[in-house]
Amino acid sequence: MAAQLSAMEKNMKKRQRRRNLVAYSFIAPNFLGFAIFTLGPIVLALLMSFAEWDGSNEMKFIGLSNFVEIFKDDRFIASLKNTIIYSLFTVPITLVIALGLAILLNQKIKGRNFFRTVTFFPYVASLVAVAAVWNMLFTPAKGGIVNQFLMNVLHVAPSKWAASSSTVMLTIIMFSVWKNMGYYMVIYLAGLQGISEDLYEAASLDGANAWQKFRHITVPQLKPTTFFVTIMLTINCFKVYDIVYMLAGGSNGVVNKSAMVLVYYIYEEAFRNWKLGKASASALVLFAIVLVVTLIQFKGEKNYAND
Amino acid sequence: MKKRIISSLLAVSMIAASIVGCGSASQAPEAEAPAKEETPAATEAPAAEATTETAEATSDEPVTLKWALWDVSSTVYYQPLIDAFTAEHPNVTVEMVDLGSTDYSTVLGTQLSGAGSDFDVVTVKDVPGYVSLVNKGVLEPLGDLISKDGVDLSLYNGVTDQVTIDGNLYELPFRSDIWVLYYNKDIFDKAGVAYPTNDMTWEEYDKLARSVTDTTPGAEVYGSHYHTWRSTIQLDGILDGKNTIVDGNYEFTKPYYEMVLAQQKDGVCMDYATLKTQGLHYSAAFAQGNVATMNMGTWFIATLIQKIKDGEYTDCTNWGMVKYPHAEGVEPGSTLSTITALAIPTSAPNKDMAWEFVKFVSGEKGAEVMASTGNIPAMTNDKIVDLIASMDGFPTDEASKEALVPSHTYLEMPANDKSSEIETVLNEQHDLIMNEEVSVDDAIAAMNEGVSAIIGK
Repeated sequence: MAAQLSAMEKNMKKRQRRRNLVAYSFIAPNFLGFAIFTLGPIVLALLMSFAEWDGSNEMKFIGLSNFVEIFKDDRFIASLKNTIIYSLFTVPITLVIALGLAILLNQKIKGRNFFRTVTFFPYVASLVAVAAVWNMLFTPAKGGIVNQFLMNVLHVAPSKWAASSSTVMLTIIMFSVWKNMGYYMVIYLAGLQGISEDLYEAASLDGANAWQKFRHITVPQLKPTTFFVTIMLTINCFKVYDIVYMLAGGSNGVVNKSAMVLVYYIYEEAFRNWKLGKASASALVLFAIVLVVTLIQFKGEKNYAND
Repeated sequence: MKKRIISSLLAVSMIAASIVGCGSASQAPEAEAPAKEETPAATEAPAAEATTETAEATSDEPVTLKWALWDVSSTVYYQPLIDAFTAEHPNVTVEMVDLGSTDYSTVLGTQLSGAGSDFDVVTVKDVPGYVSLVNKGVLEPLGDLISKDGVDLSLYNGVTDQVTIDGNLYELPFRSDIWVLYYNKDIFDKAGVAYPTNDMTWEEYDKLARSVTDTTPGAEVYGSHYHTWRSTIQLDGILDGKNTIVDGNYEFTKPYYEMVLAQQKDGVCMDYATLKTQGLHYSAAFAQGNVATMNMGTWFIATLIQKIKDGEYTDCTNWGMVKYPHAEGVEPGSTLSTITALAIPTSAPNKDMAWEFVKFVSGEKGAEVMASTGNIPAMTNDKIVDLIASMDGFPTDEASKEALVPSHTYLEMPANDKSSEIETVLNEQHDLIMNEEVSVDDAIAAMNEGVSAIIGK
């Protein structure tokens, strides 16, 4: 009996192993690509961050000097600060607006598809094109459309928007929220459609009002969506580069300390100044930040899901 | 438990994968590092082989030269240069590889750092790009070839001295642009003001620009125009020959910033912040027909002539140019220059033929081709100047022709191995001054401090 059992167990194990093998072979092509084009470079970047290298001459290992140097570099500090400010504002604002829009556009209103398209459009449109339009609307000149509106309708002083160091981050954040809210709205719409109507019906029968339904049905049911959106948004925010370059770089491509972000700093150090070690060190700092933030979010999600 | 490990691993790799989107570019050349370090001996051997091979085969064996450049479709002289060269060397085909103009130097640097680049000839866009390539050790020194073939460097008006690094030359210039002052004759005619001349001090220029300015809303005429580049203002200060842009002391830029800021305030020129965010190109600004004068390089001549001929520019057809304004007590005709040059990478498969090509393009025959397309070759003589000035569409007045001949030229950026870092500091402060975010004095102090820190290292 025991022998039979162990034979069966063996058989099962064998089958399991074969099944695993098949599964791995399906994963292999993707994983190989990942290993060669992602994992390899990451490991190399890790090594690079402890070295001094200009891309062609000999590599010199210098220990932690790169890290010491970047934290002494006020351009790095400024870019770190700007990236954090940008993420701190962009993530919650985008999240709330995307959710609000999703709830509005989930209702059976006239022209719903039209409004959905309108909201989604900025996300699809080419960044270069919409940034040019945006820069025209928000031109620092007094004759600009937005400035005219500020002066003549709201009677407040015109702003220099992307041209001034005090408002450049604001302009970038507004643009980013507007450009990306459509995408996250669509994700929220999908989440909303996954909530069973029965829950709302039952709540109505119990006499719940709209706010109570939102608070106790919509929000908890959307938790996984919110979690996903938060993580994606955070990662994307830390990676921001193109928007900053387009809005603040302007015709001469000069991005100031007031608008500099980490990825731009990395680019500048690596390919303008050919300090690949310093650039890798800052990339590593960026990686560490995103890793920590994401781990915290994962942990938060777990605690959240348990209550 | 196992599940949790897997899921956290997944999370880590997910972040890694999404971060790498921005990191991968910087890692590409790094990935090639070990391979490169192992094989210096190996790469040298085939290269030597290749040279001997081509040396034997210069006459009639088919050779394909790969030439790195930018803006193939909008640059008029590449094809004529190639045609002229292949007429002399029928066995050669030249293949152009367009690396794009925006980040040309960066892309080229990356390509040449990695193993497996097979460019025979590369165009070097500017001096900082040149210095960075020389530092990387990816350009072939040309000194021996120059003395072997007796290339006369004196025909380059001293420009080659300014790009000699540690006694060796790694590029030969084929195009050299100087800065001049363009003006729209119609505006001066309408205002009844005399045209700018080849001998103007900065004060006279300021006065002249103000005299044709009209600030009536909707009908503005701008007396001057400064493109958003730092060079349009900052470098005016180096033309007295007393300072350079890499000294670490920038007091000398003050009068020029003050002049332009005052002009900006009085509506004599367009506002920097607007120009920058709207990305208005200087050619579009001049083409609007309400810009009286504009300081810009001679690379604009060919564009201007072509676009007027095509009927695209209708409001600036009656244009002229004069020498750059000068500081009090300095000989008129001192101006800024930039050079575009050809170099041969150390990894070039056909070095001998590449040298033939470089010699041809930067030599007299190449210069004539350049001049006939309205571009200023690095090698100039009276014949070349006549050739440019006699081009259809070039202003017919004598002053414009004279403006082509500078008395002294200063490179926009001298050969300095910290130039890109210095530029970062100067660009930032230029931006802050022109946006009126900091005072000129504070910005100059910041420049002095920032650049001193860089060159002091």
